[in-house]
This record gives sequence, C-alpha cells and structure tokens, in this order.
Amino acid sequence: MNPAEEIKQLFPDSVVSVGHQTNKPLAIIKKEGLLKIAEKVKEMGFDNLSVITGIDYGDRFEVVYNFLSYTKKQNLVLKVVLGHENPEVDSLASVWKVADWLERETYDLVGIKFRGHPNLKRILLPDGWIGHPLRKDYDMSVDQFVTVGEDGEDIVSTDGSNLLRR
Amino acid sequence: MKTEELLINMGPVHPSTHGVLRFKLTMDGEIIKKCEIVMGYLHRGTEKLGEMKTYMQFIPYTDRLDYISAFPNNYAYVKAVEELAGIEVPLRAEYIRVLTLELNRIVNHLVMLGSLLLDLGASTMIMYGFRERENALQLFEMLCGARMTFNYIKPGGVREDLPDGFIPKLNEFIKDMEKRIDDYEQLISGNEIFMGRMKNIGVMSAEDAINYGMSGPSLRGHGVNYDIRKIEPYSVYPDLDFKACVRHECDSFARYMVRIDEMRESLHILRQVVDAMPPAKPVSQAKYGIAPMTGAPTAVSTYFPRIFTPPVGEVYSRIEAPKGELGFYIVSDGSIKPYRIKIRSPSFCNLTAIPKMVEGLMIPDLIAAFGTIDVVLGDVDR
Repeated sequence: MNPAEEIKQLFPDSVVSVGHQTNKPLAIIKKEGLLKIAEKVKEMGFDNLSVITGIDYGDRFEVVYNFLSYTKKQNLVLKVVLGHENPEVDSLASVWKVADWLERETYDLVGIKFRGHPNLKRILLPDGWIGHPLRKDYDMSVDQFVTVGEDGEDIVSTDGSNLLRR
Repeated sequence: MKTEELLINMGPVHPSTHGVLRFKLTMDGEIIKKCEIVMGYLHRGTEKLGEMKTYMQFIPYTDRLDYISAFPNNYAYVKAVEELAGIEVPLRAEYIRVLTLELNRIVNHLVMLGSLLLDLGASTMIMYGFRERENALQLFEMLCGARMTFNYIKPGGVREDLPDGFIPKLNEFIKDMEKRIDDYEQLISGNEIFMGRMKNIGVMSAEDAINYGMSGPSLRGHGVNYDIRKIEPYSVYPDLDFKACVRHECDSFARYMVRIDEMRESLHILRQVVDAMPPAKPVSQAKYGIAPMTGAPTAVSTYFPRIFTPPVGEVYSRIEAPKGELGFYIVSDGSIKPYRIKIRSPSFCNLTAIPKMVEGLMIPDLIAAFGTIDVVLGDVDR
C-alpha cells in the first residue's frame, strides 16, 4: 500500500482524495487536518521535507509539500487547496525546522500566510515590497525602488523618491 | 562588571560570505548568541522569469543559479521536463550527461576546498584548486564552447556529440587528478592548524541535520547514508559502480572529508563512463509537441522541436547535485510555457542549519562551518 492511501485510512475525514503526482503518491488533504497529518507523516519515516511550493491558479491557491524518506526510500506528496481570498494554512515549522524558511519564501513570493509560524516575514525581497511576484495578478508594470535607510531598514517606493539625495 | 550584548553586522560584502550574504550576529563577548541571516541581494526572480519563457528558453537561466556547477542545474531542469513529457534519451547522451555531471562535481569541490582554505587564511589551496579546475574548464570549453554557463544539456539529449580528442584529454585529466587529490590530502588533511579549526566545530546531530533540511555532502558528513543517485536512481547511475561517501563525526572536518572522498568517487565513475560509452549511432525519430522544426535526430539527441507543449500535469524531480538535493517542480497547463517553476535549491536549504550550528561558537568558527556547508549565493537567492 502506498503511503498516500495509508494516510487516507488513518484520517478518512481529512483526506479529500488520493492520486499521483507523475510518479509520486499524492494525497489532497483539507487544511484543518494538515498539522496532525504532518506529525503522523513524520512518524511514518518521512524525515525530509524537500520543498514547499505555492501555486496561484487564479481562482484558488495550492500548497504542495514534497517529502522523501531516507530510510524507506519512498516519496509522498501532500497538497492543500486554499481559497483565493486571504489564503492561510497551518505552519509546519514546529515539525520540520526547514519549513521555517520554505514557508517564509512561499509567503514572500506567493503571499500565502502560515498560521503559527515563528517569524513570518519576507526573506528574499525587501520588507515593504508591494505585492507578491509569483501571483498571477502581480502588476509587473510598476517599478519599485529600494534603498537602505539610516538604521538599516529597507525603504521601498514606486516613484523613486527615496533615491534622491536630501 | 556590567556587560551587554553587541550586534555585529557581517556582510553583505565580506570575503568569506562567498557572494552577498549578511549575518546579523548578537555577540556576548566573543561568543555568538544568535545568528540571523539576511539574504536576497542576488534575487533575480528566476521562478517568475520561468513563467515567461518557453521550456527551451529557460535552460540558460538554470545555468545562472549555481554558477560553479551549471551542468547539474541544466540536467535537473531538463530531467523534470523529460519526466513531465515522457521523452526518451539516447543511451550515449545519458553517458555524456553523467560524464559532465561528475566532472562538474569535481570542479565544484575544488572551488569549495579552495575558498574554504582561503577563508581560513591559507591561500595555497585556491591556487592548486583553480589550476586543476582550469583543466576541467578547458574540457567543458571543448564540449560546448562555454566555461561556466553551458546550456549544453537539452530535452531529448545533449546539444553536440563529444568532439575529437576529448576522451584522451579527459583520461589525462583523470590520471593527473588522482595524484592531485593525494597532494591536497597531504597538504590539508593532516595539517594541525586546519584540524584545530575544523574538528568539533559546527557539530550537529544527524536528526537535526535532516530536520533542518540539509542534504548532499554536507548531510553525509553527519553519518546519514543516503545519496539520491542510490535511493532514487536516474540516468545510467544504476549501471555504474560507486558508493555514497559517508563520515560519522558530524563536524566541519567530516564535511570536508566527504568532499575529498567524493572527488575520488567521481573519478572512479568517470573512468567507468569512458569505458562504457556506447558508440555513436543514430536514434529513433520520436515526435514531441506541436511545432515541427528543422534538424534530424543525431546520435546524442532525439528529434526535438524548439517549441513544444508537454501534457497538462505537474512533476517534482530531484537529482544529487554537488551541493545537495536540487529539485525542480514544474506545473504545466499544456501551453508552450511552464505555468509555475519552483526551484528547490540545495544551498538555500543547507543554509537553514547555520544559525543553529554556530550558536555558542566564535566568528572564526562561523566562517569555518559556513565554508564547509558550501553555499553559492546565486543558488540561495535565485
């Protein structure tokens, strides 16, 4: 039995469906059950959280978690589907430490909020950046100018006024 | 006596940060209490660019992620596209790919050793490392005309067959390199100052290392016997004889030794690849996607159009890059451009472990531990 079906048996209420992501077993789960399924997944031997991907589909967001078990040599993919308005899902940073940065990156670029994250702020882009670039409705025609302020914080403007010398 | 904590800023421009990375260190005397990493200075929005390019156009962008080892980047992306669309690759092309991957692994580890030693204040190794790297770069130049950003591996094969005189020159390189690695070991491994700087520095348990998302040689220095080439075999690796190089000391020295072992192992693989390289013979003419293009299939590439449309679907594909697990997550909506590309870069995830690793150490130890993690900022910031 593949691990996705195992999860469906353990959490019949939280799993929407099981299938495959190309060649890896996939379970689509409800966002309410994510944290307790994640803890179980870790118990099952999936010690490595490879990557967290946030995808904007226009009408919905998907957050995809790819796991790899070093001991069992197995793959598992978990997917959570979120509404397009104010997407929010539980943070896994308490289970996998690497999720801390991966979630910050997803928040930064896709704009998905992670509830219970210890330090949810931008990681690649400057603080104060306007918008989340990997969203499909991100306006690329607006230029943004970044300078470093006197006490080290990032200053972002859309008209370049912060570039002028005072 | 009243003492207070001091905030020290290291970077973004600092010789030992291997690019532009900033550490915000909270110091108690000489001891690091807290280390916060600020990044993004080299963020070019590669993932966003990927959504605006066709599948073929994106290959050169992958070169510029981890510019020290660009072949694995090429290959990881192309492998994901091939898995997505179910593209066959001629056997000879697979062998050439493995050849480039392993050669690039040696180059990467040479740069890593050179810069690590330079960070520690020993300038000899970078001269030696770059001397041997030059030979490898000349091989790359023979192969595809470029020395760092190759754009050589493409869906369905590789761009060109091996040029005349490549294999003899490669054999020369292998023979030379064997001696050189012994030299490096004699120069570095037994050096008392080096051992003093590396042993029992940057220690982390295996469970923690996995939990913090470390992978590749950095993780194998923590006694985790894993190698994606072994546990999720790809290309022709199942036919080749090699072992995952593991060390159990969990410190900086172990992570350094794994690199030395891996260079030897790569040479071992290269020798097998040279022996087993199948002869050049034309391949079948499979058709992919929409646009018929000029050009016939060659010995190292199936017929492949410049613009093609893979079926709707999504794929996550990972390889064992020199720095760790490099993965590409591609979502296709059936058009000529990827709907979403996500890059799982080894440097980014390995860097996650640094703040925990250096707590309670001094700044020079941070530099030693950071050097053995082997980070390229183009790969971190993407």
